[in-house]
Amino acid sequence: MEVLRIEGLSKIFGSGRLEVRALEDINLSVFPGDLVALLGPSGSGKTTMLLCTSLILEPTQGKIIFDGQTIFQKNGWSGGVDVRSIRREKMGFIFQAHNLIPFLTARQNVLFPLSLVGIKGETANRRVMELLEYMEIADRADYLPALLSGGEQQRVAIARALANNPRLILADEPTASLDTERGKKVMELLKKIAKENRSAVIVVTHDVRMIEGFDYVYHLKDGHLNHLVK
Amino acid sequence: MDLAVYDLKLHKGRFIATIIGVGLLFAIVLAMNGLYRGNIYEGLAVINATNPDLWVVERFRGGPFNEQSSMPEYYHYSVKAVPGVEQASPFIYYTVERQIGGESRHFSIVGYDVFGGLGGPKQIYAGRGIQQAHYEMVAHPKLGLRLGDKVTLGLHAYTVVGLSREAVDTSGDPLIYLSLPDAQEVLYQKDNEEVRTQRERLLRSLSRQNSLTPQSAEKLLPALQPDTHIINAVLVRLKPGADRAEVARHIRKWLYFSVYTTPEEIQLMLKGRLAGMTKQLMLFRILLMIISVVIIALVIYTFTMEKVRSIAVMKLIGAPNKVIVRMVMEQSMLLTISSFLFGLILIHQTWRLFPKLVLLIPGDEIITFIVAVTGGILASILGLVQALKTQPAMALGGQ
Repeated sequence: MEVLRIEGLSKIFGSGRLEVRALEDINLSVFPGDLVALLGPSGSGKTTMLLCTSLILEPTQGKIIFDGQTIFQKNGWSGGVDVRSIRREKMGFIFQAHNLIPFLTARQNVLFPLSLVGIKGETANRRVMELLEYMEIADRADYLPALLSGGEQQRVAIARALANNPRLILADEPTASLDTERGKKVMELLKKIAKENRSAVIVVTHDVRMIEGFDYVYHLKDGHLNHLVK
Repeated sequence: MDLAVYDLKLHKGRFIATIIGVGLLFAIVLAMNGLYRGNIYEGLAVINATNPDLWVVERFRGGPFNEQSSMPEYYHYSVKAVPGVEQASPFIYYTVERQIGGESRHFSIVGYDVFGGLGGPKQIYAGRGIQQAHYEMVAHPKLGLRLGDKVTLGLHAYTVVGLSREAVDTSGDPLIYLSLPDAQEVLYQKDNEEVRTQRERLLRSLSRQNSLTPQSAEKLLPALQPDTHIINAVLVRLKPGADRAEVARHIRKWLYFSVYTTPEEIQLMLKGRLAGMTKQLMLFRILLMIISVVIIALVIYTFTMEKVRSIAVMKLIGAPNKVIVRMVMEQSMLLTISSFLFGLILIHQTWRLFPKLVLLIPGDEIITFIVAVTGGILASILGLVQALKTQPAMALGGQ
């Protein structure tokens, strides 16, 4: 079963002469373990697509099915769906600028999403250390983000995204603030996560050098999604 | 996970500086509370310490403390004759500024009938009460006097035979108790030069009257000297079972005096001399509380604004609003409560340094704390609105 299925999704901002069609009839299916790259220049609709996929921005029309559950249909969120709890329990996010919470240590940053779903105490601590070791950053567990390098911060951010074993990981330009070598390492990690954890990973990027080995590559231009590579 | 505490740990320098700043404001609020209470306590201390059943004063006057009252001394005999009165004592009270120990000191003198009359000091913690008709005094320790010290007031020196801290005057200055004739003498007795000048002046004035020979003018002089047997009030103790209102009515109707009970005398002071300062202090308390709340609001708002991106990340990864509300509220409460405690400790360590009495009452502190916490909650609203308005999309760099 698909982790994410998007059918005929459109997003229109404004109306009349000011109308902007940010996304137009988008169709996309992502399965567990899929590594998907979303390419496109600035203004192509990548961020809008990411916001709709992460259930932050309500589409204008179309259908979003997440993990077998219809989340959005025609022109509204499905009744009884708590999008924030879906994000909390089933999605992981990796950002361009790491976006670690600056007043929490690396350990606490990873612990935070666990605490949101009620995992506490020794179970939570064990899970945090497992993830930090997996990301090879356990020795920096008690450092504040400001004391970590860009690459280290991104690894902590990935560990945080993995904390709740998400079905889908959404990564927004995860290598943008890293040099090429560190960027490649992060991409390798994402591939590893997709294969080992069976989480679907969608990476939004404009850097074609970073998408080597991805299962699917899509190109977004003027709100239209084109399938490039399998 | 206590996000508020972790954030404050990271900004502990600013947090501590804010606590000190707001804490100082709270200390001033508490000091104002204390000064307010102290102002009332001291203003009423001599009334409460004297506490007769009735105060008889000059007609239409609110004396002897709120307004000057003057009456001949012998009127206390008339009051004594009123049915229901067990004891009626002459009482004199006035404020002076004299040299004591080489220093100019502001204080008040109480003159009373030392042989069993009302109005004297009830609690003497060192020495004894006045036992002689003349030249003895009971003093307040604030004057720095010790037993046996001699103080010159007017023409004579008075020996300190006792110390009492029971009462201060209505301005908070120390009290000295003297026998009634001594107090009258200190107040009215002129020095010899002034007596001679006054006699000359009177004599010249009388000599201008055609009907008077110089000899008869000379004979009239003693009768025309100003009377020094003046008192300010008569203090009354009623017989057991006597009707206070009835006795008061009788004195008003037949003796043409104003009569007040001690609670009425207190009300006269509260609505009169003490009212202005009391309102002033109340206004200061309110203003300072508002300033404290505004400062806390601005600090919390700044703290929240600095966390907007973190709040967006929290929302994006699914943190419910209650997590964010709790963080902002906790910071506000930590700031408010810590500042209040700092202010409370500070004022309890320093209240003795204030020149006026700072009377710290737990009830006032509890009320101030409740007002401060309420203010802290209100102050956090500004930050909360900002936090709740923050869009999760901000974390992705969009919207």
